[in-house]
Amino acid sequence: MKNPIALTNEEIISDLLPQKFGRRGMIWTGTLLFIALVGLYAYYRQLRYGLVVTHMRDYASWGIYISNFVFFVAISLVGSLITAIFRLANVKWATPLTRIAEIIAVSAIVFASIIIIVDMGRPERFTNLFTHGRIQSPIMWDVIVISTYFCISLLLLYMPLLPDLKIMLRFKETSTKALQKLYKFQGSFWKGTAEQFKVSEKSITILCIAIIPVAFSIHTVTSWLFATTYRPGWDSTNFGAYFISGAFLVGSGGVVVAMYMFRKFYHLEKYITEIHFEKMGRIVVLLCLLYLYFNINEYMVPAFKMKKAEGAHLHELFAGDFAIMFWFAIITGLIIPILVLLFKKGRRPLPMFIIGIMVVVGAWFKRYLIVTPTLLNPFLPMQEVPASYHVYFPSWEEWAIAIGTLAGALLVITFFARIYPIIPIQETITEQHELEEK
Amino acid sequence: MLRAVTVLLLAVPSIALAQDSVKKELVLSLSYYMNNNRVVYIIANTKTKIDKKFQPVAGLPVNIYLDADSSGNLVEKLITDNNGLAKAVLPPALKAIWDATSKHTFLGKTEATKVYESTTAEASISKSRIVIDTTSDGETKTVSVKVKAFNGTDWVGVPDVEMKLGVSRISGSILSAGEGATYTTDSLGEVTAEFKIIALPGDEKGNIVLVAKVEENEQLGNLTIEKTVPWGIAEKADPGFFDQRTLWSTRFRTPLWLLFMAYSIVIGVWGTIIYLVFQIIKIKKLGTSSAS
Repeated sequence: MKNPIALTNEEIISDLLPQKFGRRGMIWTGTLLFIALVGLYAYYRQLRYGLVVTHMRDYASWGIYISNFVFFVAISLVGSLITAIFRLANVKWATPLTRIAEIIAVSAIVFASIIIIVDMGRPERFTNLFTHGRIQSPIMWDVIVISTYFCISLLLLYMPLLPDLKIMLRFKETSTKALQKLYKFQGSFWKGTAEQFKVSEKSITILCIAIIPVAFSIHTVTSWLFATTYRPGWDSTNFGAYFISGAFLVGSGGVVVAMYMFRKFYHLEKYITEIHFEKMGRIVVLLCLLYLYFNINEYMVPAFKMKKAEGAHLHELFAGDFAIMFWFAIITGLIIPILVLLFKKGRRPLPMFIIGIMVVVGAWFKRYLIVTPTLLNPFLPMQEVPASYHVYFPSWEEWAIAIGTLAGALLVITFFARIYPIIPIQETITEQHELEEK
Repeated sequence: MLRAVTVLLLAVPSIALAQDSVKKELVLSLSYYMNNNRVVYIIANTKTKIDKKFQPVAGLPVNIYLDADSSGNLVEKLITDNNGLAKAVLPPALKAIWDATSKHTFLGKTEATKVYESTTAEASISKSRIVIDTTSDGETKTVSVKVKAFNGTDWVGVPDVEMKLGVSRISGSILSAGEGATYTTDSLGEVTAEFKIIALPGDEKGNIVLVAKVEENEQLGNLTIEKTVPWGIAEKADPGFFDQRTLWSTRFRTPLWLLFMAYSIVIGVWGTIIYLVFQIIKIKKLGTSSAS
């Protein structure tokens, strides 16, 4: 592990400039493109034949798409944690992670919007939300807050990028003509003057302040889509905090996975060090404990009272049809990460990477468990519906679309890292100078 | 070898033609219905097997007869709808035949078509009546239903008839009067059930509709009887209800406090975003001026 203090500006720039895809990069991108195209074909079938190609019926009217939507919204929250909260708290070690967190946030929120339109079945009716929407509906609040969060996240991604664009324009030999045109369009006006830095710093601080309440709102409002509906498992005042704690956890898990991948394949060991994994490990274990606390609240209180419908719902989760998935999500996404990350050896890069994957996978299944079992156990059961309506397992089209959107989000991150530096160059140089002065 | 191939090639089209000429099997069934001891009708249901599943046959002519397949006994000539169903109401012209005996057989007949063979079906029933009565002593409410069949001289109770008994819902289903889902008539053809549903919303006068329904009985067919009773809670519509500004109102009647909060937040946050966009323009201008 090399200390960044020992590096020259040229070394930093050379290390952090975007790199062309190698063989592995091409295979990775090709695989993602293939998965995304299969998803696109499945969506064509859904448009062609209607939502009947899914297995959503009168009972499970929200299925894998909405689970995926909640997952995307959750993971997007990490942008506000790492970029905004850490920046405002002057947490300097997190600088190499800010852009990773922010591009995860932007790609996730883009695909959260896409998957909700997919769930609508008739995408052209999306405009009805604006022409006939009621501001009283949490769905309207979600639309407003997601679009707002997307804009702020995009600005928070763009503004710190300006000094790096200038650097990339300087090193023409490392990029293509098309990319140079793009950099020029986006940041040729950045000259790096003191005045420009002053305005930029002030704007970034305002963005960091603005994004925190919006980020909290986005996931609180998403939780209200459920909590304002009178159903077993959703009828909870705990839902906002429960969702936000889970969102910070899955987002941090996602950043850990991305940190490891970029560190390994872009050879960034000098910038994303073991100290970063150690510190992120502490954050992840804290968030695991926090989420576990809210889970205990969420399940223990109704389990103590065991009202009939709530009891049936809890039985489904703990010992019924969803028990395997439930205990998998809890053990994989919470218990094992806590047990591993409490020890220093568990906070090394490779164990952290594995734990990060477990947290993200566990979190995806947890979202599925929040959405589907509740819909299958309503307070007032429907009458005279076919027996098949009482169970839900997604069709291949639903799986293909859901996995396709996940691949799409990873593609956005992959292409971003190909075009722009995934670790802020200018900020790394500035921080190094500050350290040298000290 | 060549001869075998030639024989096979010649045989394939003829086998295909033979398969085309095989007509599909048609399933025809008849169901008898009587509502409130007055309206008598028959529903004909046509189905055929396509891809191992029964599918309705639409647009198929079906003739319904009473007791005998003759023009004088014709109930109605029908055409099935998209669900493969067709309904024939017993016409006044057949009253004499209807009154003559206590048991009748409805005959359904379809003529052969290019696709289907000719088919017949029967539904035999006994003439019946269903009577609903209620008693209430203020606290305990009781519903009793009698099912009777005509034996040629008299109306006698029919035992062991299963029925649903309760309150008619808007959806057409029945909210059971007591704890059981269904009830069965005793040796006298009677069912008595305590009405245990409390605080059920009724119409403006508190009326609810009690209903007793016998379904697919082999002897009696489908019988329904209804009675309106004032056992519900009177629900008087509030004329100003839909004019309120509430969370459940239309978009034009949003509560003012919500409008104020929502627009304040939206204006505040989007104002900040617009301000930041102007800051980017300012950075651009600063860059341009420093370059010049």
